[in-house]
Amino acid sequence: MLLEAIDVTKTFGALTVVNAVSVSLGKGDILGLIGPNGAGKSTFFNCLTGDLMPTSGRVILNGEDVSLMTPEQRAVRGLARSFQVPQTFETMSVLENVMIGAFLHTSDPAKARRRALDVLDLVGLVDVAASVAGSLGTPGRKRLEIARALATDPEILLLDEAMAGLTATEVRQAIELVRKIHQTGMTLVIVEHIMEVIISLAQQVIVFHQGHQIARGTPQEVTRDPAVVSAYLGKRAAADAARGFAGDQT
Amino acid sequence: MKRSVWLLLIVALVVVYPLLFTTPFLQRLGALVLLYAIAASAWNIVGGYAGQVSVGHVVFFGCGAYASMAFFTHFGWPPIAAVPVGMMASVGIAALIGVPTLRLSGHYFSMATIAVAELARLIVTNVEALGAAVGLSGPVMPRTVFDLSFTSALPYYYLFLVVLLAVLGLTYWMENSRIGFYLRAIKDNERAARSLGVQAGRYKLYAYMISAGLTSIAGTLYATMYGFVDPDSGLGILTSVKILIMAALGGAGLLFGPLVGAAILVPLEEISNNLLGGKGAGLTFVVYGAIIMIIARFYPSGLLKLALDRLASTKPALSDQKVRDVA
Amino acid sequence: MSMSLLQVLIGGLLLGAVYALFSSGLTLIWGMMNVVNFAHGDFVMIAMYVAFMVWKVFGGGPFLAMPIAAMLLATLGIIAYFSLVRHVMKGPMLAQILGTFGLALLLRYGMFWTFGANFQSLPENLVGGTYDLWGIRIQASRLLAGTLAIVLTITLHLMLTRTSLGSKMLAVAEDSTAAQLMGIRPDRMQAIAWGLAAGLTGIAGALIATFFYISPTVGETLAIIAFVTVSLGGFGSITGALVAGLLIGVIESLSGYLIGAVYKDIVVYTIFIAVLWFRPQGLMGKN
Repeated sequence: MLLEAIDVTKTFGALTVVNAVSVSLGKGDILGLIGPNGAGKSTFFNCLTGDLMPTSGRVILNGEDVSLMTPEQRAVRGLARSFQVPQTFETMSVLENVMIGAFLHTSDPAKARRRALDVLDLVGLVDVAASVAGSLGTPGRKRLEIARALATDPEILLLDEAMAGLTATEVRQAIELVRKIHQTGMTLVIVEHIMEVIISLAQQVIVFHQGHQIARGTPQEVTRDPAVVSAYLGKRAAADAARGFAGDQT
Repeated sequence: MKRSVWLLLIVALVVVYPLLFTTPFLQRLGALVLLYAIAASAWNIVGGYAGQVSVGHVVFFGCGAYASMAFFTHFGWPPIAAVPVGMMASVGIAALIGVPTLRLSGHYFSMATIAVAELARLIVTNVEALGAAVGLSGPVMPRTVFDLSFTSALPYYYLFLVVLLAVLGLTYWMENSRIGFYLRAIKDNERAARSLGVQAGRYKLYAYMISAGLTSIAGTLYATMYGFVDPDSGLGILTSVKILIMAALGGAGLLFGPLVGAAILVPLEEISNNLLGGKGAGLTFVVYGAIIMIIARFYPSGLLKLALDRLASTKPALSDQKVRDVA
Repeated sequence: MSMSLLQVLIGGLLLGAVYALFSSGLTLIWGMMNVVNFAHGDFVMIAMYVAFMVWKVFGGGPFLAMPIAAMLLATLGIIAYFSLVRHVMKGPMLAQILGTFGLALLLRYGMFWTFGANFQSLPENLVGGTYDLWGIRIQASRLLAGTLAIVLTITLHLMLTRTSLGSKMLAVAEDSTAAQLMGIRPDRMQAIAWGLAAGLTGIAGALIATFFYISPTVGETLAIIAFVTVSLGGFGSITGALVAGLLIGVIESLSGYLIGAVYKDIVVYTIFIAVLWFRPQGLMGKN
């Protein structure tokens, strides 16, 4: 098991936002987390990344208990993430942004530069390597964040609503990129609102509702689960069907 | 290629300045500019590059100044020999301040630096062995050349120039190494940096400790030139202010920013002191205060950046990368 | 407990109440906008000079000086907010700190240039003499200052927690984006906070001037005391500032009495450093 969450619970005062959620990921798995706003998926996600510490329960990475470790400590151990609202280094160039990630495994700027260029090539941003990150649009920034996270050579990549705010075409391009990354052997955890993305990419899906996981399984199983349909997917599933969307088979 | 010609001219001017301008006043002025440039460049490492505003930086200056004068007064050593001691004390104090406060918001750090500097000043004022309110002096008559007690400002000018070049060289090396990149990232977006494995607290602390040690050298050099230090000159808040404002006016986070700031403000202060006399000291700081506020409000990146941006906009297709390289 | 020790304690509490009064404005601003006003101590200093001038020109005491100083300082605070603070708040930390720090220098050395470095003081019996209550001697001026300070600090706390204006300000302190969505204008609330905080320094300064020497450098020491009080009390907490202020006042007076006046500043600064090391969130702070 590469990443495990065991009965992770997060409370803020009297409010329980995440209630005993467990998950288990092997190398090369893709896990999708979906649910409406406030359902707890982002909070659970942040317990995995280290931005929040679970109130109880454990997070285990490669057999090591990382529940109380900071994000930087987890990054060293192979866990990388992107942010829902892109947090690129606005004043630095695209290349320099990615170099920061690359510096995790080398202190030599020349090596970091080479690694960064390789990663930029993978995500298709080599042409804008010298541009300032602040000059990129949202899709570019999201792509840059993924590149930056990849440069740390992680074993598992956690994407926080990486598709939010993208047009349909951009979403398809982003899905292609994530597939490409997965093919290099990456393990992925994806938080998403957009059903199309989850169905296209995830092998395992957990549906959140009011802090609990109300369903778990393959995308197909989950979309047919009556509890999920009634709690969350009812209107969406109907709308998707009306648009003629069948969903890719991964 | 016009730019490199200008650069060469400036460098040449700096090198031969005291040979061209030979009056004692102008030579001393030049030496002072370089001395403050050293201190301001040292501050720049933590205040500019790491973005942690140390308002009480004078405490490190004072460590260096007092160490040298104390070593002479109590052991008869040449003041310059105390440099390692001053540096160690400074680095220790930096760790004392930095470890708890650099992981908190920037305001805590800044307030802590003021408090520690004031505490140091109060303590020293009451310790006889450190000269109390009167202060400590260095050698009245130089015994060997190592006492660095010269009557002319010329040797000081070149000594300070060498030290400044060393400090700038170290800063330049740092800028282009991993720590430099990390500091820029931390300054830009600390949360994102940490998600990439950057131990933000640790790197800020390193920057602070390096800055402290280098500032201490400036303090020792100051004491050797003046042959004297007291709680006001060595540990007073005004020295902190001067160092800070020189770096900020010229450009915090830019390699030559502090030197530009020193080159503007040191002569300004000397001239206004001469023109206005005793009360002029008050007016000088009113002006300093106004300058600081204007920089903060309109030009937080400093004058050098302003000048470079102007130059960049007159040249077609100059990428940001190149602009930064020149700085 | 000996009479003189009790006297020292009461004196410390009264002084501490005044510390709490001007520190409460600082903590309010810090809580609402995450800005530290490095010129705060110098605001108090200016108010002290205003009180001096009120006496010199009109012969008036603190009851005339307080409203005048409060209005003048509140105006200064609001001007500072709109011309400087509002802009530097959005920028890098260096700009924020330099902004109010520059203001501090401007005010301090402006006064130095106008009035000179000499200490001024108001006449000793401006507020009446010294009372002798069961063997404890208390200056009327300090008694007035202390009691008014406590009343005003508590009033401020009640204003923030009980009035609608106060809850709007607290909402902005909690989450300015959410507050905006509720129709509150953070800009306006922050300007009011600055005016209010500055106004309080006006009152505090006018009170302190009745029993303490007036000089341009006084602001520096008062600023550090304000920082210590706010750090110890927890940033954003008025009640914390009150408790911490009283505590600092007592510790300062006790140190002066037990170890000597020279060392009381050292004790206060050392407390500050200890707070930063061991409990940076203060007694009642959240972060």
